[in-house]
Amino acid sequence: MNSRRLVALVLVAVPLIVSACGGLKIGATEIRWFCCLGGGDAEEQVPVEKAVVERFNASHPDINLKFEFQPYDSAFDIFATEVRSGNPPDVVGPLGIGGGNAFPGLWLDLTDLIAAHDYDLTQFPANAVDVYQAGDEGQLGIPFAIYPSALFYKKSLFDEAGLNEPPHKYGDPYVMPDGSSVEWNYDTVRQIAMLLTVDKNGKDATQAGFDPENIVQWGFEPQRDDLRQVGADWGAGSLVGADGKTAQIPDAWAASWHWFYDGIWKDHFSMTGPQFESDDFNPSDYPFFTGNVAMSENYLWSTYGVADSGDDWNLAAIPSYNGKTTAAFNADTFRITKASKNHEAAWTVLTYLLDDARADLLTTYGGMPARAGEQAAFFDTLSEGFTQKIDWQVAIDGIQYADIPNFEGPMPDYNKAFDKLNEFATKWEATPGLNLDQEIADLRDALQVIFDQAQQ
Amino acid sequence: MRSFIITFFAIAIVAAFLSPLVRAATMSVKNSGQISQTKAPLYPADPETFIYHGHAYDVYNVPVDGATRELALVTKGRTESEFVDPAHPDAGLITWEGSWRTLEPVWVFAPQWGNFLEVWDLINYPRLLFNTIALATIGTIGTLLSCTLVAYAFARFRFPAKGFLFTLLIATIFLPAAVTLIPTYTIFYKLGWIGTWLPLLVPAFLANAYDVFLLRQYLLTIPHDLDEAAQIDGAGPFRILVSVVLPQAWPGIIAVGVFSFVYSWNDYFSPLIYLSTAPDLQPISVGLAAFHSIHYRSPALIQAGTLMTLVIPVLIFIVFQRFFTRGIVISGVEK
Amino acid sequence: MSALPSIRRLRQPSLARREALWGYVFLSPWIVGFLALTLIPMAATLVFTFTNIDLAQNEPVRFVGLDNYARLLADGDAWRSLLVTFKYAALSLPVGLIIPFGIALLINSRYIRGRAAFRVLFFLPYVVPFVAGVLIWEGMLNAESGWVNGFLHFIGIAHPPNWLNEPGVVYPALVTIGIWGIGAGIIINLAGLQGIPTELYDAANIDGAGWWKTLRHITLPLMSPVIFYTLILGMVEVLQYFLVPLVINNGTGDPGGSTLFFNLYLYKVFFTYQDMSYGATLAWLLFAITLAISLLLFWSARRWVYYAGER
Repeated sequence: MNSRRLVALVLVAVPLIVSACGGLKIGATEIRWFCCLGGGDAEEQVPVEKAVVERFNASHPDINLKFEFQPYDSAFDIFATEVRSGNPPDVVGPLGIGGGNAFPGLWLDLTDLIAAHDYDLTQFPANAVDVYQAGDEGQLGIPFAIYPSALFYKKSLFDEAGLNEPPHKYGDPYVMPDGSSVEWNYDTVRQIAMLLTVDKNGKDATQAGFDPENIVQWGFEPQRDDLRQVGADWGAGSLVGADGKTAQIPDAWAASWHWFYDGIWKDHFSMTGPQFESDDFNPSDYPFFTGNVAMSENYLWSTYGVADSGDDWNLAAIPSYNGKTTAAFNADTFRITKASKNHEAAWTVLTYLLDDARADLLTTYGGMPARAGEQAAFFDTLSEGFTQKIDWQVAIDGIQYADIPNFEGPMPDYNKAFDKLNEFATKWEATPGLNLDQEIADLRDALQVIFDQAQQ
Repeated sequence: MRSFIITFFAIAIVAAFLSPLVRAATMSVKNSGQISQTKAPLYPADPETFIYHGHAYDVYNVPVDGATRELALVTKGRTESEFVDPAHPDAGLITWEGSWRTLEPVWVFAPQWGNFLEVWDLINYPRLLFNTIALATIGTIGTLLSCTLVAYAFARFRFPAKGFLFTLLIATIFLPAAVTLIPTYTIFYKLGWIGTWLPLLVPAFLANAYDVFLLRQYLLTIPHDLDEAAQIDGAGPFRILVSVVLPQAWPGIIAVGVFSFVYSWNDYFSPLIYLSTAPDLQPISVGLAAFHSIHYRSPALIQAGTLMTLVIPVLIFIVFQRFFTRGIVISGVEK
Repeated sequence: MSALPSIRRLRQPSLARREALWGYVFLSPWIVGFLALTLIPMAATLVFTFTNIDLAQNEPVRFVGLDNYARLLADGDAWRSLLVTFKYAALSLPVGLIIPFGIALLINSRYIRGRAAFRVLFFLPYVVPFVAGVLIWEGMLNAESGWVNGFLHFIGIAHPPNWLNEPGVVYPALVTIGIWGIGAGIIINLAGLQGIPTELYDAANIDGAGWWKTLRHITLPLMSPVIFYTLILGMVEVLQYFLVPLVINNGTGDPGGSTLFFNLYLYKVFFTYQDMSYGATLAWLLFAITLAISLLLFWSARRWVYYAGER
């Protein structure tokens, strides 16, 4: 055998062997969809994602799409290892705004691909597109899912306490048990939350002899994944000043943290840290799902498990602070990694997920479609999962009160600052008797140190 | 008497030591509702319910006129509540003054044995089990083969730089994994081994410091007379290893084998990163951790899954434990 | 540890060469593994420490000289976390030596009934998958609903500590979690105890030595190699300790930075802050420290470790 024939043989044989070992499609480009650096890893969602991958592969002979599933806890390490070792995934998501900011410089600017494929961005509201516009890094994403927040509440607990339900319409007042109409603000929420907090003897948190050591029902729970999020339901803001390097605490956020801290330790309507961490009090990570919490500020995405709380929950308006209403929002999309070895094929996958597969994915993620025209149909599908009638209009209305700038906006050394924030959050949730003003000042100083180091 | 006290003392310690497993076991047969129920007993229990006008209502022990009656709670209220008597539902609602939360529900023992079946299906247990057993078995064979050879070299042969090489071997124990992670991954990636078992199995065939040390220590305790006799009969070093040394070394080999098997069984990080793209090849440690993340809303299923993974390593330990302690020699005391 | 009488080797140098050759042949699996999977990656990482490699690599890779080392010297977090590791080691190392030794003594006691059963039961938690074990303990130690505080309530302590959230008690809590995996340590100690010739105990008995004296003068000296072995492994483990706090509170270092261990900080620099070069520098520092301490221990071992059979 001469050497040329040997080379030819090898050239033929190698792809054959590789394709026989690796995949089903000869000559297909392999694209890896990496999940889950944000959402998408709940037990109901994974089968839907796998089905989408199968459908894609059936309809695209030239691309072999692989679903690389990593649960959230290990996803960051694996993702970083793969990228750094030259084996990057191509498409990543669903990924929130903060999740994107956690990996600065890693995402492909889609501007050229959008132009080359004439992808129509005008079908989305302009501000939804701007969310993914990252200065000189370019357009890092295309709008996909929007998660407005709302106040989830459990009707039977209000009935038992003899309280009226909270208002569904933004701007409406709340009617107290004595018949008086009051503004739907956090002071009102505090009052009724205490009435809805009950100990094992049936006493509520306003009564003498209330036993805070043995609470069996809580009045209110914020979305506590992130201190910034707690603040953002009181007012939009950022921990970084306009100059991009000065640490600051927005006044509304400081007020919200005081309210939340007192809510745990003085008014007792929110769980303490240890209660929140306990499987016995909070087996599903969202206390509202247990049915032992009367009100909870959360995103639409919690629809995936809220049925656990019973069939009498509904949505109400986010309360106002200082006469102004702000409803924190979140948004997810898929992104392409800059290091991906095949941007064109990755784009095909990206647009398949964003467009062809969107109905299934948005429903399972509980994400409202970014295209306004599709929202009604989306809520019809979402309603099929629940027996009671849910007032979805509340969620749609919440979009008008979205926090702009979004609380997950960029910060210098984002991951380090985020860590610091969590350190303080954990401390506050676990420790009574702190001087919170001092704590907030300490947090600001600690953030300033991190921001200063990042400038160097 | 002394033996009674000491045994009792040991039982008390073991009970405290294993109480977390007991807690896990009780959780594994509950559902989320049974776990988060306030006042729920330790055993899995549901409140008894009574169906009244098409709705299920919980039954409570209600003190009425000095006697305790089992009544179903229909309308909850803070100061008074309405109950119905399951024995006489037609009699209508009974109003009771007081806080219903002070009442004790009537508990019915309701273990959720189905949790184990559910985990079995959800986690694709047979597939994970096959992968784990295959990885652990091949890995153990590789470890035993390679470590025996290396230990034999260190225990029986004289060669230049032996002390230095042994120190080098021991020094690898002190290496933090982070020092080598990215370059090692890159090497395996360039070899095209990512998404295969090779990054897990090949290193097993290249020996490791812990097991070489243990085996070397054991081999040192084996007298040399038989080696020398075999040598005089013309046996080569390899023959001596196989037919003279190994037959005397089996307690040490079993000990290292069991350690190595349990280690592979629970090895998490390596399969996590190298099999990230190949879910069908992952072992149970990775599958279980993923299961934790996906089903975090079902702590009962998580505990059931954990308990299921224990069965095989425990059985292996029980079978081999008699020989086990004999095979570990660290002090170098000759037998 | 010679394989052959030395006289013969002197007469036949070629035999010594043959022996050496065979030695290297048997050693070869490890040598290949060491070169490919330890030495080359180590050298690569060492090169990393003189560059600016990070995850996104928006700037081209270049040599930065000793920048990473200068940064290390000025990095308060790094030295604080090293101190945290040493503080934790001061508690966890002695406990990790004494408890398995004590339990092994107990199981080895001639008065105990059902020794095999105890051996299995004490080994049991060792096979619990790591993450699952930590989660189980998180539940046990929960201030509100854990069995530990349930027990403390039961014996009349009205306000038991919040184990995982108070700086003063978090180390004992972590040590307790660590103790759970001592199955292998118990077995190794047990093996050591069973290797002590019974004649020595019989002799001590005849001399009328009590339990303590026997322990002090026979058991402990003869067990010193085992103690040394577990000490070395324990030292390596504690210096590289980070997974438990990572699982329990996502590595935030709670409460108040008291669980920001050096290796945890390293891990975060590497993966969370995505600074590979600096992470590699920290990793090399950890390796150097571990090596230095182990050299110190090996040096001290000459004074207190008694190898009966070593020639």
